[in-house]
Amino acid sequence: MGFVNFLVYLAIMIGIFAIMSLSLNLQYGFTGLANFGQVAFFCLGAYTTTIITLTFGLPFIIGLIGAMVVAGVFGYLIAIPTANLKEDYWAIVTLAAAEIVRIFFLNEGWVVGGGPYRGGAFGVGDIPQPFKSHFSAQTYPFFYLGIVLVCLLITYLIINKITDAPFGRVVKSIREGNDHLAQALGKDVRRFRLKVMATGGVFGGMAGCLWAHYYGFISPSQFLPLVTFIVWAMVIVGGKGNNKGAILGTIVITLFYNSTRFLKDYIPINEITLASLRMVAIGVLIVVVMLFMNEGILKEKKKIY
Amino acid sequence: MSVLQVILNSIIRASELALLSLGLTIVYDILKFANFAHTEYAVVGAYFAFILNVTLGLPIFFSAILAAIATGIFAILIDRVVFKKMRNANGIIVMVTSLGVAIALRNTVRAIWGASPKSYNVPLQAPIVTKYFRITPLQIWIIAVGAAAMVAFYILLHYTRLGKAMRAASDNPDLAQASGIATEKIVTAVWFIAISFASLGGILIGMETYLLPYMGFAIIIPVFCAAIMGGLGNPYGAMLGALVLGFAENFGLYINFGKLFNLGGLLHITHRALFIPTGYKPAISFVILIVVLLLRPRGILGKKEER
Amino acid sequence: MLRLENVVKNFGGLQALSGVSFRVEAGSITGLIGPNGSGKSTCFNVITGFYEKDGGDIYFRDENLEGLKPFEIAQRGLSRTFQISQVPEKMTVFENLLLAPKGQTGEVITNVFFKAARIEEETREYLEKAKDILKLLKLYDLRNEYAGNLSGGQKKLLSLGRVLLTEPTLILLDEPTAGVNPTLINDIIRAVKRLRDEEGKTLLIVEHNMKVISEICDKVIVLDFGRKIAEGTPREVQNDEKVLEAYLAGSSKKWDV
Ligand SMILES: Nc1ncnc2c1ncn2[C@@H]1O[C@H](COP(=O)(O)OP(=O)(O)O)[C@@H](O)[C@H]1O
Ligand SMILES: [Mg+2]
Repeated sequence: MGFVNFLVYLAIMIGIFAIMSLSLNLQYGFTGLANFGQVAFFCLGAYTTTIITLTFGLPFIIGLIGAMVVAGVFGYLIAIPTANLKEDYWAIVTLAAAEIVRIFFLNEGWVVGGGPYRGGAFGVGDIPQPFKSHFSAQTYPFFYLGIVLVCLLITYLIINKITDAPFGRVVKSIREGNDHLAQALGKDVRRFRLKVMATGGVFGGMAGCLWAHYYGFISPSQFLPLVTFIVWAMVIVGGKGNNKGAILGTIVITLFYNSTRFLKDYIPINEITLASLRMVAIGVLIVVVMLFMNEGILKEKKKIY
Repeated sequence: MSVLQVILNSIIRASELALLSLGLTIVYDILKFANFAHTEYAVVGAYFAFILNVTLGLPIFFSAILAAIATGIFAILIDRVVFKKMRNANGIIVMVTSLGVAIALRNTVRAIWGASPKSYNVPLQAPIVTKYFRITPLQIWIIAVGAAAMVAFYILLHYTRLGKAMRAASDNPDLAQASGIATEKIVTAVWFIAISFASLGGILIGMETYLLPYMGFAIIIPVFCAAIMGGLGNPYGAMLGALVLGFAENFGLYINFGKLFNLGGLLHITHRALFIPTGYKPAISFVILIVVLLLRPRGILGKKEER
Repeated sequence: MLRLENVVKNFGGLQALSGVSFRVEAGSITGLIGPNGSGKSTCFNVITGFYEKDGGDIYFRDENLEGLKPFEIAQRGLSRTFQISQVPEKMTVFENLLLAPKGQTGEVITNVFFKAARIEEETREYLEKAKDILKLLKLYDLRNEYAGNLSGGQKKLLSLGRVLLTEPTLILLDEPTAGVNPTLINDIIRAVKRLRDEEGKTLLIVEHNMKVISEICDKVIVLDFGRKIAEGTPREVQNDEKVLEAYLAGSSKKWDV
């Protein structure tokens, strides 16, 4: 892999995961909803677009919209029984829900059309890449990067705008542990939570869709809870409650994660040990940030009138 | 499979779950956060026992006890380094921190011992086979240890000074308000008890199957479900939750829902077999959890609503 | 305006309210007093729907509030403060106030994009009101400070200010002067009176400071052990035998009227 290609790959990864971080930041950073099942949105987005574009042969844009809608609806539905629960319960319910989504795709190969060695644990390949025929193999990654960046920009603008609006004020007051206050001011806290989860789902689904078309191959093993935890690390390190921070955190964690890949070329260490140590570092990083710089790299911006 | 066998399997599962969910719930009760690293400690304990048993060649019985004690101490050390600094922090902050601890622990185990399954060095013993059921001596041990642990915990909670202090700290919603030093002693004791019990659970599961770095994560959902179902923070609730889940998981796969929905021949779909596919076993605890939370947002034996 | 009929609330074995009935007349200030633990805050929580009552009826402008959620009750124009101030700490004083107005256009996600002008207009209007309120409560210099950095008394004032911005019909204040700097108490008294006299608002106030009570209340209701033991003008109540008795019995506990 040439160096430029590697940089484009990194940029695409950062773009896709920044969308995930912005989505989680809306949920956790602004609203205080500890979604430990963020990967479910990603997974649903990826499978939905695969079904739409591969099984039904519809265009990418339909796949993208479908992915966003399905993941958004999922976010809304999962919040219905849980919206009035304490954070601790949220965390485990979302974590479990995400595992069930994964287990569903693991067991139900037919949803992606079935066939021998296809679907279920085998995963699905040949996911079409949008507008591939218009580009050469060298230039296509740049074009795809363009798509990803446009999506990221849209996500950033929308989430920034709603968190800055009166909507954002209400969800922040919910985050501050003031369910009671928001209720006393006539805010339907439950509905706000549902909306946040649905919006988070929409963008998580978008990221999943972009991931599927970039790799061209998806399987349930790509959607382990590990993904959720990495996104959490991004938000916490970058700065919860700060959208620029979420993006910065994504850059930091992605660079860290990928730079350590090259270590094996220099020190004799096997792949599994290296992968494990990388995750040890991420775990320790979460702990250290929570202990010593609770706000992350970029603090939440104070709104001045 | 006979019904008796399914009941036995349920009780075995419940014993394992109870050993783990009990600790989770008392840590929640005293320290007011959901410890996502809880089941990872069980894995650490299981691998400690592996060192003692396989690497050093000690008998499994002593290995298990020593490992449980060592892991309890290990949990106290982690508390000193990490959680102690967060006593007054919001529960959600501590919870996220515990997630970091969980990721670090799980992958440390994987970095040291690799991702392939490991087994203890235990003499193979012939199972007891009757017409209706089959049980291995190890499974009898699991049930015995589980039951003994619950009895020990009951005695601890009701007949010792420590237990009295724990109950007092539990009733006091604001830990900081309780008298300083005594509270820290309780916290230390709670970590030790919670994590040594969890380690025993991890070791027993490891003996019944094998050791894997991911075994802690594999069991986190049922363990949390059991604790939540009984009302997080309620030790007897956790035991009850473990029992309910053990039975639900085993009977869920055993029952022919086709027959059940048929309402005794009323619907004339007699030969339809409708079983929950085995692949969905992990989903059973989740569905039960959701139903329980919908009906009783604070669990079956949940504490009274707080102010 | 507000009517309680035989309201009962139990906490396990403890009966915090045992059949409390009273009325709050439109345009008046009613005081709710009693020893600590007599059920005043519980009464507020039951009226505003935060606690489910175990018996009795509550009517607000002749509507039975049975089964309504706290936010639905608030939307009907019943605004409250809490005994322990609820202030989102990582929001500024201004943000705290801007949170208050009900049914803001910008609270709906789609409106954020399609009704931007209206949102801006509303925000400007609320900001103006907020500024006036902050000046009145002497919090204007702290307008861009995080609410978490305020003192306990300042948080009480901020909560009061927030209530004013909700355009309430009935205002419930739980110990509005507790912990507030004495010089500011007079400002609160003035503000509360102005609400009644100039804006025609109705208030129900839990208050321990007897000077405040006698200065502003048209009527006082006295609770003891979850029962109403007296009702009347501040002067009548102060001379009531039962109240004095509760007063004396309570003096060994903490009775700080
Ligand atoms: N959430 C609750 N759970 C249990 N008991 C409560 C709760 N809230 C209030 N109480 C009890 O109800 C009684 C009345 O309390 P409260 O209404 O706060 O009194 P006041 O405001 O008059 O000081 C007290 O005995 C108190 O302990
Ligand atoms: Mg009170």
